[in-house]
Amino acid sequence: MIKLTAITIIALSMMGCSIVKEVKPWEKETLARPIMQFGSIHPEMTKFESHTYFSKEASRGGSGVAGGGCGCN
Amino acid sequence: MTKKIIYALLFSTITMMALEVGDTIPKNIQEELKMDNNKTYILDFFASWCKSCKKELPLVSEIYNDKVVEIIGVNVDKKQEDGEKFVKNLALHFPVYYDSEKTMVKTFDPMGFPAMYYVKDGKVLHIIFGAVDEIDKQITEDMKEIK
Repeated sequence: MIKLTAITIIALSMMGCSIVKEVKPWEKETLARPIMQFGSIHPEMTKFESHTYFSKEASRGGSGVAGGGCGCN
Repeated sequence: MTKKIIYALLFSTITMMALEVGDTIPKNIQEELKMDNNKTYILDFFASWCKSCKKELPLVSEIYNDKVVEIIGVNVDKKQEDGEKFVKNLALHFPVYYDSEKTMVKTFDPMGFPAMYYVKDGKVLHIIFGAVDEIDKQITEDMKEIK
């Protein structure tokens, strides 16, 4: 009986590992929005900030990639 | 008894498998998409928010206009209106199934978008995930091999 209980507990706890649900490609609508990109709150603001950065540092880039979110390539 | 419990727990975690090359599309899906068994089809899954789809779809529409292959689009936007607007803006001519309930896409379970399934006699012959440069040329080549 102890063995059976132990097996059930182990099996149930292992099932708990599968709780984290994968986001499917067709569920990435919200993630694909421009506002979900890393950086400022709004893409326009990001443009403005990168312009200021370029003017001050005479350097640009290295701030992530645009678009994406559809899970392809 | 122990074995029964282990099997029951194992089977309870099994989820539906994605359709792969060589698999047969379920009859109800074929009927829903109004597929004819004698024809070769390309099922193109897309969404209005998918940037790669937007780039690729006009070329796919040209392929359909040139009658290279029958194409059925499957739009997976949450709101059907968004999908309809997208299709109208891109002036796509091929028939589009609006899968806002996600029944179709869940059956195929593609690993990325856009997803193209080449189907003949209800069987999946080839799959392309993600956008391909000059997809029109790629489809034309593939169709020569299939026919």
